[in-house]
Amino acid sequence: MSAIELHTINKVYGNSFHALHDLSFDIRDGEFMVFVGPSGCGKSTALRMIAGLESITSGELRIGGRLVNDVDPKDRDIAMVFQSYALYPHKSVRENIAFPLHMAGLPKAEIASRVDEVARTLELTTLLDRRPALLSGGQRQRVAMGRAIVRKPAAFLMDEPLSNLDAKLRVQMRAEIASLQRKLNVTTVYVTHDQVEAMTMGDRVAVMKGGVLQQVDTPQNLYKRPDNVFVAAFIGSPSMNLYEAVLNGRTLTLGSNNFEVPERVFEYRPSLNGASHRQVIVGIRPEHMNDAAIRPSSAEISAPVTLVEALGSESMVHLNIGAPWVDAGDPDAVADIGDERAAVARFSPKSTVRAGDIARVAVDAEELHFFEPVTRTSIW
Amino acid sequence: MRRARRFNINGMLVNAAALVLVLSYALPYVYLLMTSIKPAADVQQIPPSFLPAVVSLENFREVLQSSALPKAFASSLTVAVLTTVLSLAVAVPAAYVATQYRRRITTLFLLFALVTRMVPSVSLGVPLFQLLKALGLLDTIPGLVLAHTSAAVPLALLLMSAFFEGVPKELEEAARMDGCTRFQAFRKIILPVMTGGIAVTALFTFITSWNEFLYALLLTSEATKTAPIVIAEYNSVYGLAWGAMTAAAVLYSLPVIFVTLALQKQIVGGLTFGAVKG
Repeated sequence: MSAIELHTINKVYGNSFHALHDLSFDIRDGEFMVFVGPSGCGKSTALRMIAGLESITSGELRIGGRLVNDVDPKDRDIAMVFQSYALYPHKSVRENIAFPLHMAGLPKAEIASRVDEVARTLELTTLLDRRPALLSGGQRQRVAMGRAIVRKPAAFLMDEPLSNLDAKLRVQMRAEIASLQRKLNVTTVYVTHDQVEAMTMGDRVAVMKGGVLQQVDTPQNLYKRPDNVFVAAFIGSPSMNLYEAVLNGRTLTLGSNNFEVPERVFEYRPSLNGASHRQVIVGIRPEHMNDAAIRPSSAEISAPVTLVEALGSESMVHLNIGAPWVDAGDPDAVADIGDERAAVARFSPKSTVRAGDIARVAVDAEELHFFEPVTRTSIW
Repeated sequence: MRRARRFNINGMLVNAAALVLVLSYALPYVYLLMTSIKPAADVQQIPPSFLPAVVSLENFREVLQSSALPKAFASSLTVAVLTTVLSLAVAVPAAYVATQYRRRITTLFLLFALVTRMVPSVSLGVPLFQLLKALGLLDTIPGLVLAHTSAAVPLALLLMSAFFEGVPKELEEAARMDGCTRFQAFRKIILPVMTGGIAVTALFTFITSWNEFLYALLLTSEATKTAPIVIAEYNSVYGLAWGAMTAAAVLYSLPVIFVTLALQKQIVGGLTFGAVKG
């Protein structure tokens, strides 16, 4: 049993900075849980508290049912992979991997066989006698993984382990870590600020902001049913477009455009029924807007095109929707080139729209998201 | 083409400047060396000559046969080694804590160490004399070791702090996750990584004690007199024994030169120590 339970965990630093607010959720035995969020959201602090490297101000942390608030890191039976890998520079790859086993006092023969086994799994056999300084970034990353898995711990903790790798290697290592975790079936907590990593690797993803847990759910649910504006905008790339709109009966007014919202939306969002000039935040994912000339829809809007980014497989079309734009509150979000309020639509590569055109945009209205303007939570 | 030429001119200018610098450092020592191998009669000739007319080891024979110098060498060596060990024992863990567990108090601690380096040692001589006298440690090896350590610890602390600044905190954390206590992490991981920095600090501490003159003059007399005092005594009311003095000075400089050469690799590694990124 190596489930990890966090119960109303708080972290307040000496300077009164409240880094984590009442963090509560369970990580199931064997689950791959990803903590994701912008810089300063408390995800690494939460991980370090699980590791025992950061003290817990209040709340309870249990690993395998055992209360570990005041247990030393070495006695928690967990292994950690650091962002900088933290390999011991004066030790060879073999000695790095063997170190936790030496500390555990295992017999030499067993240490040797376990190191060899891990080296085979991670394809490090030919590198065992090298020092870390002579390894590439990807190889160092694998050694750090080896040092973690050789102990067969109750849980793995990983703090942005791929952020020092180049984009191509990151994609490859992402898949390798995910498949290794499935193979070993060890509870894993993985911290990243990259939502693509979070979505592709995690069984479940905990989205955090400002030290507060926003939502913990499966990647699919986070995408389909975000709890609030922040999660809606944070998950998905490019981000969901968020605008103030008015719903009157079945008609949605978005800037100068009006279109009918399909009946199905009201079936799974019953609170929207009977709206009379109701102010809402409407969210449209880029993939749910297309060129009406190619894929017509009953819900269409017209918008001037400010920029077209042709990526070959698709075109990112920046549109001036003309409705009040809503800031999702992501401190790391980069404003779009030119106009930060531009909506982004993922058009088919066959689209011929160009910057300066007035595009007719087909909106997949069944996929619209609705949020309360004050609480910024989803309307269901 | 033009760029390559400018590079060459720049390179030559840098080399020339380096040569001038090296010569300005080396010249007094070379003159000392030359004087030490002149026959006693030639040492004080007017005008002085740079190169010896005849090479003679007479001065070396004289100083080695005297009873004072070998004993003073032994005192110097004992004091310098003990000062180095004691200073490192205090400064290495203190610098690690001050840099890796940074608090306002640790910053003040380092600042205070820096301030103590700025106090002229002559102004500390009298209080040290009274302290050691009260402790009954005047003219003893432990007394001089304590005095030298008080001067060497701030230097060692500042040097080691600079080296520890380059050690990522994750190294200790990784070791703690791998089953170490904080102290084991320090002993098994941090210290081996820091050998270069420790070698440099040890050398500077050793040299500080080995060359120290003022405290040795104030706090020792016959029993534990160190070599710098004995060397200075060649200039006495009875005359100035230039030849013997330079020979003793050359002999006294040799251990430092040999230690520096032996630790060259660690020293260069230590001085160029940056992030210890695995």
